[in-house]
Order: sequence, then structure tokens, then C-alpha cells
Amino acid sequence: MSATAVAAPAVHSLWTTAAAAPIHAPKIEYAQLSPILVVLGAAVAGILVEAFVPRRARYGTQLAVTLIGLAGAFAAVVGLAATGYATTKADLAAMGSIAVDGPSLFLQGTLILVTAVGVLAIAERGLEPQSREVPHVDAFAPQAAAVPGSEDEKAAARAGWSTTEVFPLTLFALSGMLVFPAAGDLLTLFIGLEILSLPLYLMCALARRRRLLSQESAVKYFLLGAFASAFFLFGTALLYGYAGTLDLGGIAKVVTGDAAPNAALNASAHGDALLLIGGAMIVMGLLFKVGAVPFHAWTPDVYQGAPTPITGFMAAATKVAAFGALLRLLYVALPEMRWDWRPVMWGVAILTMALGAIVAVTQTDVKRMLAYSSIAHAGFLLTGVIAGNKQGVSAVLFYLAAYSFVTLGAFAVVTLVRDAGGEATHLSRWDGLGRRSPLVAVTFALFLLAFAGIPLTSGFSGKFAVFSAAAKGGAVPLVVVGVLCSAVAAFFYVRVIVRMFFAEPRADGPSVAVPSALTGTAIAVGAAATLVLGVFPQWAFDLADKASVFIR
Amino acid sequence: MNSYVPILVLGVLAAGFAVVTVVSAALTGPKRYNRAKLDPYECGIEASPQPAGGGRFPIKYYLTAMLFIVFDIEIVFLYPWAVSFDALGVFGLVEMLLFIATVFVAYAYVWRRGGLEWD
Amino acid sequence: MHLLYPVVLSALLFCTGVYGVLARRNAVLVLMAVELMLNAVNLNLVAFDVWLRDTLHAGQALTLFTVTIAAAEIGLGLAIVLLLYRRRGTSSVDRLDELADRPDPPHPDQGAGPDPDADQDADPDARPAPDATSDDQPRKAAA
Repeated sequence: MSATAVAAPAVHSLWTTAAAAPIHAPKIEYAQLSPILVVLGAAVAGILVEAFVPRRARYGTQLAVTLIGLAGAFAAVVGLAATGYATTKADLAAMGSIAVDGPSLFLQGTLILVTAVGVLAIAERGLEPQSREVPHVDAFAPQAAAVPGSEDEKAAARAGWSTTEVFPLTLFALSGMLVFPAAGDLLTLFIGLEILSLPLYLMCALARRRRLLSQESAVKYFLLGAFASAFFLFGTALLYGYAGTLDLGGIAKVVTGDAAPNAALNASAHGDALLLIGGAMIVMGLLFKVGAVPFHAWTPDVYQGAPTPITGFMAAATKVAAFGALLRLLYVALPEMRWDWRPVMWGVAILTMALGAIVAVTQTDVKRMLAYSSIAHAGFLLTGVIAGNKQGVSAVLFYLAAYSFVTLGAFAVVTLVRDAGGEATHLSRWDGLGRRSPLVAVTFALFLLAFAGIPLTSGFSGKFAVFSAAAKGGAVPLVVVGVLCSAVAAFFYVRVIVRMFFAEPRADGPSVAVPSALTGTAIAVGAAATLVLGVFPQWAFDLADKASVFIR
Repeated sequence: MNSYVPILVLGVLAAGFAVVTVVSAALTGPKRYNRAKLDPYECGIEASPQPAGGGRFPIKYYLTAMLFIVFDIEIVFLYPWAVSFDALGVFGLVEMLLFIATVFVAYAYVWRRGGLEWD
Repeated sequence: MHLLYPVVLSALLFCTGVYGVLARRNAVLVLMAVELMLNAVNLNLVAFDVWLRDTLHAGQALTLFTVTIAAAEIGLGLAIVLLLYRRRGTSSVDRLDELADRPDPPHPDQGAGPDPDADQDADPDARPAPDATSDDQPRKAAA
């Protein structure tokens, strides 16, 4: 809408009404949206399974529906990428709401694979103590609505009930995550944010053991998440007021002056304040989701309290989706504002890396330590975002793919180390694990080395990529800080490895449960991805590089 | 600068209103607290007869209310469709049927899991 | 009517909501404060929509989505708070301190700090897995 096309009346007022314009039915390209639609369809089918399939058969049916849905969605992503939607045919589908381009398809493919591995860990039923009547016990509450310790809950546990709703919930969360990095306008971005968050809040509260901690983590995640999404939404409203459109590309055009802002708004001319405050609030909402300092407070508590398979899924997938959305917002909607957002992001990145690495040193709980490590990794990823060039985008894409599999694998290993009270997450309990069960300890050490960024692991390739992109983008001091923080972080990863292999095992130490094929596969895939992306990273770099152009 | 005077007036009015109500409530209101008033919900129904540790919570009021609100509000999307029904034609009809079908899936879940049983 | 009135009003409402979230100690009241923030956004969106004469009414469409999502969010939030309330008999957010950074947890042997419901949570009928105390290495671990 150009300034001349709309003849502003002499006195513009909220009471003057515009002439009704004809509405045309929108055009929806279902084929291009197929990954999202398949996942949503599988989730809806999962709800129907919950409603109509007898309780005994639900677990198997749900697992089948989920995995088939994920396979279909992944096939759809590959199909779209193979027909050129990642490069030449990149397109804005559904009237500009969903961008089908390289970064979208790369991240959607990553997210679907990550979820498939996460679902394997979630589906594990062989680790909890079992009885003859109840041969399969999973990590989730038998009846989530019952008060922990009540007769109802005991009855539900005796009857062998389980919360198979986690499968459709996972799929719903995934569908939000698929929408989130692909959103072409702020409305879709908000819907994606909420669809990915709401199931996660719920899944955090479902732990079978330590329900109190689990519920507390859900309350904290929910309250802070709702607070952050309100900020995100207020920012959306302000940007809409500034640009007169919710389109990311449209906003960019108004920022550069290619498209004149709305005539009505020009008359009132408070534009810049709306743009700056609105952009800042939206970025704040996204930084909350990625767990960057100073919006990180929820991360350790939620990671520790949530059921461990859920923590793994959440830690890996949320980060991928939220960084995708952050990249798209900053590179598509606000590229001309980079002189405004870059200094702020510098500060955020430095704080995030430093705080994540330093506070992790003092942690005594494995899950909390991994949470702080994920904060530090958010900082490393932010350096790639700050780079502001094509190389930065492809480095962040690669880093996300590499990091998510390491995270999934690490949390899956945590579910195995158990004692009578459930998972033994206190670090002192891991003393001498390498002598009791060398294979598990070696695998965990591999994941820790990847977190630390030791060569020949995917962590090194990823860090190398983001740091070199940032250096090329003129952020050399940031790279120096990043390398220093990596060194600090490496200290506490190595400390855990030393404990596992060189400390005396305790007599009452935890045992390592024998995983079923499900968790076994999840850990194996995580370890394989860590090694392959570390030793032969080139094909993945090429893929990420091809996929690194946003459609505007 | 003149155009900012209304904001200033509005700000002063808002602040004044807040101060006056809080102060006057604190000064004039009787302070008779009893157990019911300190409860999180004042609806005449005991919030939790057996709090920590045991028994089933009479959840039907909450459940029914929440189901009503969620389903009630989902239907808000029918209004814009109804207004522009002519222009959207068959496309709008099909999309809306899909939307209603998904809402009914949720309804079927609630029904089968006993969410609608009012004992 | 000038655009500034609704925008300033919505900013004030939003700030009231922020204050409510930060100052309130009851989780239900925090939820109400979040609702207030979302409604401030709605007011803002509708005002901008009308002011901009958006022919597609993007602002009003987003408002509809905000209203529905807020309803879903509150339904979910109340459910989670209710779960916590039934177990603890309080919905104060200040009492949510089981999960926090501690230099040295009081019960290092329990793993994740104090765990008051560990006993109740354990299913008394379940017997420990046969290998719960053995030191065997897993048969099928990661390759």
C-alpha cells in the first residue's frame, strides 16, 4: 500500500472507516506445506488413538503412528528439497505465511530426525523397576492428574497405565517447531511459538519419579514462557503498527524505505520508536526460547526437573527451531537494522558464553550441568548469528544439526545410570562409572568431548564453522571470548570424564540399566552422528551451505 | 508539544486513580480476614478437602469450565468466516469443515476419556 | 480519536501486567497478570488495525489468534498450577525452590537435592529389576 494510493482524509481518526475492499480466497500450496501437515495429521491421529484404541494396545499403536508420521514428513522434506525448493524454486507458500526455502527445509529435516531419535528415548519402557503384573514401565506418570502418592495413582500404576499422550504431544510440539523457523510473517511465528511451547510445558510435568520437581519445573517453565511470549506478542503489535504489515519481507521493505509506510502512520510519525522497541521485544521473546543470558533463568530448573527423555528432546529441538526463527527474523525482517541489533547481540552472546561456561563449573548435578552447557552453546551459536553473512547462516545450521544429536545422546545416557531412587544424577554418583560399565562411560565421554569441541567430534566442526564465520564477519573479539569460554567449558567436561574413569567407584554406586533397543538406537544414532559430523563434516557443510539463502 | 498534553493528563489521571483507590481501600475498608477469604478461590466450595497426599480432587467444576472456555473460544474463528462466506466460497467451506473436524477430534478425546461425565 | 490514546492505554495495561507478574506471589494471580499483558496486546493490535485501515485486517486476525491461544494457555497453566497445589497445598511461586542452584545439596546421595516425595512415588508393588544392583555392563549399549 503506497502513500499515494490511499488518500488520507483531513482528520485521520480511529472512527473513520475504510471502504470495504473485496476479499479473495487465499491460495494454499498444500504440497509445499506437506511436512507440517503430515506431522499435524499424525498428531491428530494420535489423539484419536487415545480416544478409541483400548489401553493395552495404545503404546504400540502410538509408537507406530508417530514413527510413520515422522518418516512421511521426512520424505516430504527430502522430496521438496530434491525438487529444488531449497535453492532455485524457493517460495513463500500460503500467501506468504510459510517460507519454503533452504534454511526452512534444512532445519525441518533436522528437527524431524531429532524428534525421531527423541521419540525412541521417550518410548523406552525397560529402565524402571518392573513387576510381573506390570511388565513395561516408562518414564512418565501412570496417571498425570492423580496426586503423587495417592491411592488413585497407586491403582493406576498397578493397572499398568501409562501416559501414552506424550506421543501426540511430541508431534504437536514438533509441528510448532516445523512452523517456527519457516514462518514468513509474525502471525505464523507466534502460532509456531505457542504450538511448540504448550505441549512442552505439559510434558515437563509428567515424570513418574520426582513428580514434585517435575511439576515445579513445569510451573516455572510455563510462567516464564507465558511472560516471554507476552513480550514477544507486544513486540509483534508494535512492529505491525510500524510497518502496517505482519510480513517479514514487508517489514524489511518498510525499514529500507522501498515501500512507504502506511500513509496514516506517516502522518503520526512515531515510527522509529515503534520499530526499535517492537524489534527488541520480539528478539527478547526468541532469546528466551534459545535460553540466552539474561533470559536463561528457566533453563537449569526445567532441564533438571523434566523427565530426562523429554529434557533431551526439548533441549535439542527447541534450540534448533528457535535459532531458525531468530535467524529468519534478523536476516529477513531486520537486516537493515543490523547496526542496532548487532551491539546488543554482542553483549548477549558474550554474557551467555561466559555465564554458561563459568556457572557450569560449580554444578553438582549432571542434568543441571548439561543445562548450563546448553546455555554456553546458545552463546556460541549467537556468534554465528552475529556474523551477518551467508557463511554465518550455514555455520549456524550445521552447528544446530551437530549439537542436537550430541544433546539427545547425552541425555539418553543419563537415563541409564540409575539407583534405587531413579536416575542417579548427582555427579558424585558417577565416580568410577568407567570401571563398572566402560561402554556407557566411553559413549558419554564422547558426547562430553563433542560438547567441549575436541577435534574429530561434531562439536569441533561446528565451533570451527561459527567462529570462522564470525571472524569473517568482523567479530574477532567475540571469537576470542568464544575460544576462552570454550576452554573454561572444556575444563568441566573433562572433569566429569576424569571422575568417570579415574575416581574410585563407590560401593553403593548406581548401576547402569540395560536399555532396550529403543534407547540403544537413540544413543547409537547420537554417537554415530557425533563421529560422522566430526570426521567427515564436508558433505554436511556443503548441504548447509547450499541451504543457507533465505527467501525474502 | 501540545499534542502530548493529553497523554500527560491521561498518565496523571491513571496514576491518581491508582493511588486514590489503593489508599482509600487501605484506609476505609474493614480488615476482617477469615479462612475463606484467604483461599485462592472464593466460590463456596472447599478447594481441596484432603490437600497433600491423598484422595481424588473434585475436579468436575474446573474441568467443565475449562472445556467450555476452550471449545467456546475455538469457535471464534467461525465469525470471520461467516462474515466473508460469500467471498471465500467453496475454499472457505472446506477449510472450515477441516477446522471443525479437528475440534471434534479433541471433543471425541474428551468424551472417550470421561471428561464429560458429571457424576 | 487519535491513535495515541489506545496505544498509551495498552502500554499502561501491559506495564500493569508486568508489575503483576513480578510482584504477585500466587501463581493464579501471575496467570491473571499475564492475561492482562495479552489483552494489552489485543487492544494495541485492534487500534493499529483500524488506524492503518488494513484491508486484510491482519491485526484483527492476530487478535483472534491471541484470544484463542491465551485461552488454551490459561487452561493449561491452571491445570499445572492445580497439580502443584493439590500436592503442596500452596500455589505460592516463592515456595517453588526445590530446583535451584545450590553450592552443595543437602542430600548428595539422593541425587537431585531434597526429594520429599521419592518414597511415595516409588511403586511399593514393583520389585527392583533383577540387575538393579549388579555391576554388569549393558548388553546393548551404544556402538
